[in-house]
Amino acid sequence: MNVDQLVRRTLQEQAAEHVRAPGDLADRVLRTRRHRRTARGLAGGAVAVAAVVATAVTVTVSDPRGVQATPASETRTADVEAHPDQSPPRELIAAGNAAVSGFYTGRTVKEDDGDELFLRRYHLLDQKTGGYAPADEKWAWVDVAPGLRTAAVLEGELPASRIGLLDLMTGRVTRWITVERPVAAVTWSPDGRRLVATAYSRNPDRLIDRPDDHPANGPRQHSSRTGFYVIDAATGDVGPFRALPRSEPDTWGAPLGVSRTDLVWGRDGTVLYAEKSDGTRDWYTPDGEKTRTPAGERYAGASRAGLSPDGAYAAADGDVNGSPVVDARTGKKVATVPGMQPLAWADGKRLIALGCDPKKCGGRNEFRTQLLLVTVGSGKAVPLSGFRKGAEGGAGRWVPMVTGR
Amino acid sequence: MDAESQERFREFVESRSSALLRTAVLLCGGDRHAAEDQLQNALVKVADRWRGIDDPEAYARQVLYRQQISRWRLKWPRREVAVAEPPERASDGEQGAAELRVLMRGALARLTPRQRTVLVLRYFEDLPEADVARVLGCSVGTVRSTTHRSLARLRRLAPELAALAPAAARPAAPSRDISPVEVRP
Repeated sequence: MNVDQLVRRTLQEQAAEHVRAPGDLADRVLRTRRHRRTARGLAGGAVAVAAVVATAVTVTVSDPRGVQATPASETRTADVEAHPDQSPPRELIAAGNAAVSGFYTGRTVKEDDGDELFLRRYHLLDQKTGGYAPADEKWAWVDVAPGLRTAAVLEGELPASRIGLLDLMTGRVTRWITVERPVAAVTWSPDGRRLVATAYSRNPDRLIDRPDDHPANGPRQHSSRTGFYVIDAATGDVGPFRALPRSEPDTWGAPLGVSRTDLVWGRDGTVLYAEKSDGTRDWYTPDGEKTRTPAGERYAGASRAGLSPDGAYAAADGDVNGSPVVDARTGKKVATVPGMQPLAWADGKRLIALGCDPKKCGGRNEFRTQLLLVTVGSGKAVPLSGFRKGAEGGAGRWVPMVTGR
Repeated sequence: MDAESQERFREFVESRSSALLRTAVLLCGGDRHAAEDQLQNALVKVADRWRGIDDPEAYARQVLYRQQISRWRLKWPRREVAVAEPPERASDGEQGAAELRVLMRGALARLTPRQRTVLVLRYFEDLPEADVARVLGCSVGTVRSTTHRSLARLRRLAPELAALAPAAARPAAPSRDISPVEVRP
């Protein structure tokens, strides 16, 4: 560690400490102000100096960076923005109400002490150009808000003690939100007003090699999730910490896939869920109380797309033969759409999915996948991107992030 | 200020003052009382210009930074900051890192307000040098030299930090800036 890194860590740690402003601060300010206004005639010189400073500040604040423009996603509003020749995509991909807000590539770094660290390298939509550009390498976690104007970011190595709100027009962090317990995931609510941040005591993307373990055993997953916060995005107010019981074996040797058990919002934004290693979900209220699976979500399974915007259909993960779409009330299958992995609903009938265009490979190729736009009740698929290279989880394989536009 | 503005101002103070106070505590080197004074002064200015400002929080932060470094600030009586006794020796590993941060906190408290403000803007708010210069109303060269001198002073104040690599030896540091050119998402 060098001295500037230590300064950074020290300041972050100090800022995360529980500091509360006095409850009567607004009253004190208003009283002081009245008092100063009364005394103004006696202290004209001092007031004049303050006014000069304040005027200069106002100019800077009202136009801090001279950015006044329309986001690219709001000028490219065609129903389908497809680039089937691009992999990874270079220009905005969108369909209906959903757009690709960015993508990441993952890689695993083996460290000298035997640990293995999974790292994401993000590319995000640049709202000035409408293209995807590499994000700062220090972002270890990114989630883009519906509307594609802001992203919530976390600095590596996770977990992080503050959450940044990144302006996708300027590429700058407009607000830092500090949290007392470090978090390793942050996700927007469907209406873009709230965030849920999942707290961990260790980096869930780090496989840890135990020194006392048999040398033949590789580094292992661990369970270190401690709870979550719900945060008001407009004010940056962090709600109370909601502790969660460790969902799986709380020591070593837990099976694959349990290190990361992030909280995610359900479709209507009133409840939260965490996916378990067996693909089922635990549901919680924003107060941290365990709750029943909402009736509408019962058949959504572990698919990322989940319920359609009107709640009528649920899309489930499929296989090379396609993905089932079921009636959300009864669970009865209503259609099979091309694509193995539905990612998001573009509207009430169409889905953005990962799969292989049936025209190119009969849809039957597990590894050769691209972004597709598929329609319930139709076997057709519109390619939105080029084919992804590499194996799932392998270097160079880009993973799309789909967000409401 | 009419009743409605006062109500909105109260709401703003209630929702944002704790976050602003955290920044003020950093700027004041951990001195909670000085930080409250600074915040109260900044909020008075926010209230004075309430109708004319779009983003009261950004405005309050700018006032905090500027009043911290302005010349008349230096005429105010300085307070002695209570700092935890540094440990005798930093050990390896997590404990060592925590001890280094305690040392660093003490050293930060002994910088001048101007030096500390520049470090907070550079390393906590993550602003590029050009933006720090704009916020503080000085040149980029001044920001650069103040940063350099502040880090050097930190190493002198806490000799245990001397073992750390100097920041200047790592060209990677500027790349952390959130500048539109480098980071554009």
